Amino acid sequence: MERSFAQEVEKLSLGEGELFHGEGILGVTKALLQSGVSYVGGYQGAPISHLIDVLGDAHELLEDLGIYFENSASEAGAAAMLGASINYPIRGAVTWKSTVGTNVASDALSNLSSTGVVGGAMIILGEDYGEGSSIIQERTHSFAMKSQMWLLDPRPNLASIAAAVEKGFELSEASNTPVMMQLRIRACHVHGTFVAKDNKAPLYSMRNRLPKARFDPMSINLPPATYAQEKHKIDQRWPAAVNFVRDNHLNEHFDGDCEDVGIVVCGGLYNGLIGSMQQLGLADAFGKSRIPILVLNVVYPLVPDELSNFCSGKRAVLMVEEGQPNHIEEALESILRRADLQTAVHGKGAFPIAGEYTGEVILKGLSAFIDAATPRNLQSGAVVERALDLTSAKSRAVETLGSPVPVRPPGFCVGCPERPVFAALKMTQRRFGPIHVSADIGCHTFGALAPFQVGSTVLGYGLGLASSSGIGHLMDRRVISIMGDGGFWHGGLTSGVVNAVYNQHDSVLVIMKNGYTSATGTQIIPSSPSQPASKEQVLDIETTLKGVGVKWVKTVPSYKVGKMLEALSDAMTTSTPGLKVVIADGECQLERQRRIRPMIAQMLARKERVVTTRFGIDSDVCTGDHSCIRISGCPSLTIKPNPSALRTDPVASVNNGCVGCGLCGENAHAATLCPSFYKAEIIRNPSWLDRLKHRVRSTIIGWMAGAPRAVA
Amino acid sequence: MTTQTKPFSILVAALGGEGGGVLSDWIVTAATAMEFPVQSTSVPGVAQRTGATNYYVEFLPVRRSELDGVAPVFALTPSPGRVDLVAATELMEAGRVLQSGFTHPERTTIVASTHREYAVAEKVVPGDGRYNGQTVIDVASKLAKKVHLFDMRQIAQQQGTVINSVLFGAMFGTGVLPLSREACEDAIRQSGKSVKASLNGFQAGFEATSSGKPQPAAATSVPAPASSRAPASFDTIIDGYPEPLHAILRAGVAQLIDYQNAAYAQTYLERVRTVHEVPAAEGVDKIAVTKETARYLALWMSYEDVIRVADLKSRAQRLQRVRDEVGAAPSEPMRVTEFLKPGLDEVCSILPRSLAGMLQSRYKHRAHQLSVGIHLRSDTVLGFSMLCLLRSLRPLRPRTWRFALEQEAISDWLACVRRSLAVPGQLAYEVALAGNVVKGYGETSERGHRNLRTILALAAEIGQKDAAQVTSQVRAERLRALSEGETPSPTVTTGEPVFKPISFMPRNSASTRSD
Repeated sequence: MERSFAQEVEKLSLGEGELFHGEGILGVTKALLQSGVSYVGGYQGAPISHLIDVLGDAHELLEDLGIYFENSASEAGAAAMLGASINYPIRGAVTWKSTVGTNVASDALSNLSSTGVVGGAMIILGEDYGEGSSIIQERTHSFAMKSQMWLLDPRPNLASIAAAVEKGFELSEASNTPVMMQLRIRACHVHGTFVAKDNKAPLYSMRNRLPKARFDPMSINLPPATYAQEKHKIDQRWPAAVNFVRDNHLNEHFDGDCEDVGIVVCGGLYNGLIGSMQQLGLADAFGKSRIPILVLNVVYPLVPDELSNFCSGKRAVLMVEEGQPNHIEEALESILRRADLQTAVHGKGAFPIAGEYTGEVILKGLSAFIDAATPRNLQSGAVVERALDLTSAKSRAVETLGSPVPVRPPGFCVGCPERPVFAALKMTQRRFGPIHVSADIGCHTFGALAPFQVGSTVLGYGLGLASSSGIGHLMDRRVISIMGDGGFWHGGLTSGVVNAVYNQHDSVLVIMKNGYTSATGTQIIPSSPSQPASKEQVLDIETTLKGVGVKWVKTVPSYKVGKMLEALSDAMTTSTPGLKVVIADGECQLERQRRIRPMIAQMLARKERVVTTRFGIDSDVCTGDHSCIRISGCPSLTIKPNPSALRTDPVASVNNGCVGCGLCGENAHAATLCPSFYKAEIIRNPSWLDRLKHRVRSTIIGWMAGAPRAVA
Repeated sequence: MTTQTKPFSILVAALGGEGGGVLSDWIVTAATAMEFPVQSTSVPGVAQRTGATNYYVEFLPVRRSELDGVAPVFALTPSPGRVDLVAATELMEAGRVLQSGFTHPERTTIVASTHREYAVAEKVVPGDGRYNGQTVIDVASKLAKKVHLFDMRQIAQQQGTVINSVLFGAMFGTGVLPLSREACEDAIRQSGKSVKASLNGFQAGFEATSSGKPQPAAATSVPAPASSRAPASFDTIIDGYPEPLHAILRAGVAQLIDYQNAAYAQTYLERVRTVHEVPAAEGVDKIAVTKETARYLALWMSYEDVIRVADLKSRAQRLQRVRDEVGAAPSEPMRVTEFLKPGLDEVCSILPRSLAGMLQSRYKHRAHQLSVGIHLRSDTVLGFSMLCLLRSLRPLRPRTWRFALEQEAISDWLACVRRSLAVPGQLAYEVALAGNVVKGYGETSERGHRNLRTILALAAEIGQKDAAQVTSQVRAERLRALSEGETPSPTVTTGEPVFKPISFMPRNSASTRSD
């Protein structure tokens, strides 16, 4: 991680009464410090990476408070950290991306919630649901229900979020249960303000250590304790939680003049709901609503009497609950049935069963509800008409445009070291015919998109190789698996490599060694080239592979497409049995540029000699066939109108974004492309020798080149 | 409480790495400085990786002090008809916003750059896969209240800054943004990075939208190709043709004189004549047929061989063009490396027929192993003289194997065009266009020849089938050929067989091994 978070760290030190400006996830971090946590851990992933980045840079602050921070090796490791709160009155928090991270953490979480906690245990979950999501669309809510962990879903403004963190710890301790707080991606990245409090030094910490260890056989998952824990969970902890939520008014009730109807909304969706209500004239800019609203800042457990009281005397309520299954709506139905209330519940139906509740979706849902429930004090017809005008904008636009604009999915950055590897993989496919490629999670998943289309399956983080074990023995030629170095340390080493060695798989593994978990924002991993001062680099992938008995290992510089192609061909054809591993060695270009850009700027400022490299294309040599683009897809390798008076197709061209990674040249040779490419190395602040050579050469060359001639 | 107050909402559509995040931070800082309650959200991550992304900002243009303690509730996602100002860093991203239905004719102002960053989907097409940007420009004016479109990339480059500062200035220039100029410029100053350039960008963007002066046209409109000069000696012949053909013929003649010599250009005109003089059946657009024939004939006759490449790469203006493209000052020394991979075909292309034929018959089967990658340093005297040497082979070209090969194929094609002229309808035109499938180097060129042979064979079936059917077949085949990328030809390119060794099961189950 080459970025510095000094500014953010400063914000974490704000004191009582000062106004905090910043991102939601940073507000959460501040709230943790205000709640007196003793330890924090987590595994990076959008949208909560920032919490880990910032705490990683906050050594001094953490030391002052005596807080232990760990960049966990995986979500399972992070969840297991919370075990510290089982026996001791110490508060701790961990964070990761849900639901993928929660899947990984489940084993530890089940045990944790079965045993129960003494000190407050908080899990911050970044939800990546809907728009632009890179993960499977599932609900964290189901995890809460299966393990009876409580789930907070606060209103997405910094004050509410910070309050939820602090109250969450109290809830956790009052009910001896771990508490999860889910934040949708835009809530994590929302920029807002809240009034800060002083940071609280934890009761027990690295400064004030626990005097003695505690042993309680009933906290072990063995009979008879296991069953006792289950009973305690249901008889004691659950009611305790329900009471705490009710008595502390964690859920909010807003009045409205249309009392014959109501809306029950998950806290996280509140702003979206109000936004749409504003557009339909049902709420003002400050959230004053005409329809009564019950905001569930705690979505699990529900408080039955709270819900039945809200619904009693109402003909109909709208349940605004994103995702499926619609756990809350179903719970609400049964609560009303038990309370013998006839209030009609509109939920899925008015809203789509799956998918994100965007402004447009909520507009439609509201309008459908108003249309069906016809609130007494409301001109339903007018509202529905207004909604129709707004929501039909999309279809109007699509119609007017005719053909849809070209899609633009995320792809490899300019000069990314993974691009050349996929170029080599594509050429390998051309050589051997279609090869089954087990892809993995990480930037390299983009290899499955155009122009490479390399990757047959993706099964989970670090599971590329493991997922090849089923198909590997059933294919007539070897299968290739891909694994990032992040995935390697996250679990791919054991679930993939060790498994393949033990079961003597005869397949090929490509490890993308770019030095960071780049897809999550280039966080440090055990084998990162630039480790924080506190740690020294001790773990090396190649040594590790040898250590677990991999015989065939080749490390190839990522940008050497030709060498990579040969290494892959060897791996595909060698008579050596067992796992063949090709390590593609090339540092993440984002990080590299962050490091070298300022360096080069300084050198230039000091008038030192610097050689900058760029690629280019002779547009009069290019025939507009674009085969170079089909094995690169680099953003800086693009097209432009053909300067020729005869040719009509656009020619390839390299724009100013080029960082001179060298791929274009490598491809030109490895794939025998046209001779249009050239590499230009400009010598800034040349030495006297450079200048002399330059003068002599350009004189003679100028003479040989002769006078300019016209090109058609 | 002021119920009629509405939040002002801004949707910034950008590509990763274009500074959309910085722009929304500027807006937040400016609004905060004016004591307006403000909120911004984004979906980063994607933004980091060149994909389409957006940033959404809402603020209430009322001072906090006047709100007697109540805080406004802002939406986190843009919503149809809720967006006041759309700011896009690129034309298709503006199109994407339109497509999502966020703009409203009564409320939304659009500020966008007309330049194009082509999507992979547009770039990978062998021919021309570009989306017509004009569509977006037309639709914008229909679906928004006010539209300000101009090439911001150009201005950003002139000002030596990033596009986001120009866009910021343009947004302010529209007059709809309820922020003070001081606040906006202070926000830029506070960000502390390359402030001067950013402020210049802001000013330039502001002028472009505020002043009524005409704004740079859409970058998507392809500039008309520079008409190339042919020597006056050819005028009499060229003027003999209908006016619409003059430009293309002049270009063709110029290209071929440049490629070989005046005599070769004469041959070219001669060949065009043989097509043009053939009487056409009714319904045949003779001009169009001749025009496309003339176009692709000129290109084909100037097929790219080693001599041509060396020639183009060793010209005075090329040396200058490279410097301009990579931004090297005249005083700065520059190393230039050419990536050449001459193979059997390239060698043969400059050998006499007999010799080349011999080599071909002997080594064709392992041609893929014979090509050698060369890094030629054309900035060195030695490297450059290599180019000059190859370039000097030009007079020998007509005696080479490749030359004979191409001329043969050319005359087959021309013959087919002439025959097709007798067929009513589009056939002749289609066959003329088919000349476009032969281009490129090495494998690409060979593929082109194969494809053209297929097309000519189809056209030859005119006897048996009816014209319309043949025409559509020819057309379909051409389009297929032009959209066809590299067809993977498995294993044939490699000599070695794909050997999969026996994999042993753990000892205890060795008896039950499967393969």
